[in-house]
Amino acid sequence: MSERILNPDLGFVKEVIKSGGESLKKCYQCATCSVVCNVTPDENPFPRKEMIQAQWGLKDELFRNPDIWLCHQCSDCTAYCPRGAKPGEVLNAIRKMSLQEFSVPGFLARMVNQPVFLLLLLAVPLAALLASGAGHVPAGPVEFGKPGGFLFSLKYIDPLFTSVAVLALLSLFLGIRKYWSAMSEGQSSSGKSPATDISLGTAIKETVKEILAHKRFDKCETTKGRSTAHKLVFYSFIGLFITTVLAFGKVILEPNGGYLAYLGHPVNVSASLLTGLVVVYKIIGNISAAALIIGILLVMGNRMKNAKKAGLGSYYDWLFISLVAGLGITGLLAELLRVGNMPAAYPVYVVHLCFVFFLFAYAPFSKMAHMFYRATAMVFEKKSGKA
Amino acid sequence: MEKKYGVYICKGCGIGESVDVQKMIDETASATRLPKENFKSHDALCSPEGIAMINADIKNDGINALNIVACSQRSKVEEFDFPGCVMARSNIRELVAWSMPAMEESTQINARDYAIMGVIKIQKGDLPEPGILENLNRTILVIGGGMTGLSAALEAARAGYEVALVEKEAQLGGWGAKIFKSSPMSYPFEGLIDSPVHARIKDVQAESRIKVYTGTTIQKIDGQPGLYDVTLNTPGGEETIKAGAVVLAAGWKPYDATKLTHLGYGLPNVVTSVEFEEMAKKGGITRPSDGKPAKKVAFIQCAGSRDPEHLPYCSHFCCSTSLKQAKYVRELGGDDALAMIFYKDIRTPGQTELFYKNMQNDPGVMLTKGDVKGVSEAGSGNLYVEAENTLLGQNVKALADLVVLAVGIVPATAGHQQYLDGLAAAGSKGDEAKAKYIEETLKPEFILNLGYKQGPEIPSMEGGFGFADSNFLCFQYETRRTGIYAAGCVRQPMTMAEAAEDAAGAAMKAAQVIEHVAKGMAVHPRAWDITFPDPMMTRCTSCKRCTEECPFGAIDEDAKGTPFYKINRCRRCGTCMGACPERIVSFKDYHVDMIGSMIKSVEVPDEGLRIIVLACENDAYAALDTVGIRRKQKLNPSVRILPVRCLGSTNLVWVADAFSRGIDGLLLLGCKFGEDYQCHFIKGSELASYRFSKVQETLNRLQLEAERCKMEQVGIDDYSRLPEIIDDFVKNVEDQLGPNPFKGF
Repeated sequence: MSERILNPDLGFVKEVIKSGGESLKKCYQCATCSVVCNVTPDENPFPRKEMIQAQWGLKDELFRNPDIWLCHQCSDCTAYCPRGAKPGEVLNAIRKMSLQEFSVPGFLARMVNQPVFLLLLLAVPLAALLASGAGHVPAGPVEFGKPGGFLFSLKYIDPLFTSVAVLALLSLFLGIRKYWSAMSEGQSSSGKSPATDISLGTAIKETVKEILAHKRFDKCETTKGRSTAHKLVFYSFIGLFITTVLAFGKVILEPNGGYLAYLGHPVNVSASLLTGLVVVYKIIGNISAAALIIGILLVMGNRMKNAKKAGLGSYYDWLFISLVAGLGITGLLAELLRVGNMPAAYPVYVVHLCFVFFLFAYAPFSKMAHMFYRATAMVFEKKSGKA
Repeated sequence: MEKKYGVYICKGCGIGESVDVQKMIDETASATRLPKENFKSHDALCSPEGIAMINADIKNDGINALNIVACSQRSKVEEFDFPGCVMARSNIRELVAWSMPAMEESTQINARDYAIMGVIKIQKGDLPEPGILENLNRTILVIGGGMTGLSAALEAARAGYEVALVEKEAQLGGWGAKIFKSSPMSYPFEGLIDSPVHARIKDVQAESRIKVYTGTTIQKIDGQPGLYDVTLNTPGGEETIKAGAVVLAAGWKPYDATKLTHLGYGLPNVVTSVEFEEMAKKGGITRPSDGKPAKKVAFIQCAGSRDPEHLPYCSHFCCSTSLKQAKYVRELGGDDALAMIFYKDIRTPGQTELFYKNMQNDPGVMLTKGDVKGVSEAGSGNLYVEAENTLLGQNVKALADLVVLAVGIVPATAGHQQYLDGLAAAGSKGDEAKAKYIEETLKPEFILNLGYKQGPEIPSMEGGFGFADSNFLCFQYETRRTGIYAAGCVRQPMTMAEAAEDAAGAAMKAAQVIEHVAKGMAVHPRAWDITFPDPMMTRCTSCKRCTEECPFGAIDEDAKGTPFYKINRCRRCGTCMGACPERIVSFKDYHVDMIGSMIKSVEVPDEGLRIIVLACENDAYAALDTVGIRRKQKLNPSVRILPVRCLGSTNLVWVADAFSRGIDGLLLLGCKFGEDYQCHFIKGSELASYRFSKVQETLNRLQLEAERCKMEQVGIDDYSRLPEIIDDFVKNVEDQLGPNPFKGF
């Protein structure tokens, strides 16, 4: 192995400590963590080495490695750590910092992860919605998505949300690309030749399969219930994504007032197909919403329950959890109010939309991005033959 | 004194169920020709009733020679204490009733033989009278004015003793006064404190019982405990004082860093921890090369220590020192200054662990294990610390502004020890080689300059790297010169907090020897013993074996070469008694004829074997007792076990006594000897082993197999092995050698 120059960065150490890794310096390198960890590879396991790299402020070593994202924060390490160094919490803090390192633009990442900016960040979608006319409550029965309903009265909202989504995806792409090249660099500088007989496609396929099955999550011991909770939230997001796509499709296709019709290109869709579509996405949507709420409540419960063993988590975690919970609850509440034909449904719906905006527009910078970075790390790991 | 004998047999603790006590009385009486009315038995001899019975006999019948046939001499010591009486203890509880089958003939014979041996012991023994020398002095001389010496002086003075404190430098304090700050010594072990030495110096100066001699060395120490004549070299000239005991607290020196060029010493920005201390004391952490503040300071632990090429041992406090100095970096260098520590293992013994934890918690203190391979220049005065096998990965080069070598310690006793070892080695090659050595070798500064025939300094441990010899587990502070106690870093590397405790221990030892010689009593390990070696000098041939072999240098020679005892130096091991070919050395209750007669009293059976075991009282005999106490194993019934003070007291005539009487084998059980010896008298078991290697040649000439005589090294914890060791020996004699051919002659 080549000789590496160590130039410790005290500022980075302090940053890790400030970012939720308060216990970082307690580690005395006994490696109990790496021994009890069920998700670490056998060869060169984490999180022991990450702990000392962080103690020495070796930022590049940490960020150019898939390991910090291969950690699922089961917290077995934290539970067994004889010095209370909480490696799980420390790695979480480092993950947060790696998001800030790679995401574009970086200043947004810093803002998203600092409580001071919370209101400002929330004010953006609210202002946009209000500017778009969300302050005006339409008369008549409470309607959201029907032509002439609430949503239709909001001008610019779809272009805004859509373009924000596109920007977010672009930002994510750039961030992930930076991360990938950093990992490649890290690998080549460590002198290890990557095992190349796995194609990128296969690596992605394997990773998706693994994620869908939550295989690694299931290996967690200390925080056993987390896998179930995460599955509920994970699959509910997929369900809600399908719901959104179907609903969007309906809005586009609808002959009576749909987008295509609006633009002068009405398509001929049978009414029964549309009704069927509505029934399907309502069922999926409602089941997903229920799963989301139950799942996120379980997440919260687990975190509280395990706080002693695994640590409570930081702002970075709780912002994400709160947003997801807020999203689910306001969504369900808006639906119930709408069904009950109460005008309060409108403001609740506006809040719901703010949450949606927050979650997706800031996804590259918040914990929401974990799915992409972790998946990328897993793909890299498979491709480089680490696992 | 006219003896009136009383033999008291206890039937308690299962003895009564194991042997026929009446039969034993009958047989012992006829074998020893004592009248049967001198024998009494009791159901529980150590009970108040039993003791009252004995006391009544002492008072009413004038009984003054007692054999207590009961438990081991190691138990019921307070109960069976009859001042003014000659005493013996026959151990038929642990060695017989508890380790042999009940009511068997062999068990009965064992008990009888032990009872007979006890009677012989009181027949042959006399009442000890203490030998007290006159004009004993009670001053404690403390050599060294550092943390250890100051603490020892204070402890001794506060216990009521006059103290003479000698420091070779002009000021008191030693290394402790030269440091910038000290690591914390009490909870919560955070933050640095002023060196505790300064407060001790004030206390010492305020103490009227302590007389301080600075700028002073020892020119000579003559005499023995209670009677030392000490010649001092003071700035004002020679001065003579008297002392009763000595505490050697001469401390340590840093390891010579010029030998550490592989760690970069010699480069402008590489300093030792001692030099770094001076730098901090001056107020700033700067680079010697350009005077710039050092912001990245690397500490290399074990610089010289734990390195077979340099100091093979751990210097114990360098880890705490570097953690402390890392704090200097953080406190004096600003919040952007950082310290990197490369260690083999962080060793922060005891509560110092809390200081380590606290220091580790500082973000600017970075630690990694690793093997430092070298220090190289990185341009503009910067340095690379090159390390392998670090926790950060295989090979790393850490960039630093300044490198501090945590140098190890060398005891102040090392220099002269090396010289004396060399001198002894040269001397063994002849006078010419010795003269050449003296001429060619630079003579180091001696510390004690003892006027002992056995050498001017206290011997250091074999393989002990110049540290004063003292068994750190069993008998700390003891040296091989009675009355001289080593404390602090001359004994082993230690922190200031530990040195202060060590000093207290050594001061108490010094006080003890003063009190004991005033009563004519021995010190450790026979700290109750008032007997002393009393040679019949008319038969002395001046062969000097005793002078050579005494482990404590207690025997000197007069101008004609005739040995004489400086009795206060003696620890009563009896090595001289074992050594003397004329068998003239005796103690009142322990002498060659006594043990020889006890051996000869053992009846040799026509059928079957009889084996004598001589067991060291300190470890082997205790382990044999434990065999009985555990009651899990049986002792071989063909052996008879005799306790000896030390195997060193074993006189070769006992071998002749045993084999001429037809004894089939002789087994010696003594302590481990060699580098990590366990012998309470340091050399006893080794000397016994040496003597027996000679006796085996004699046996061969007598057509007796050398294997009939064997020595085994056992420790107090070898009880589970002991029955097997004995069985193996007996079996070997039985199968390979057969009965003693002299049997029946």
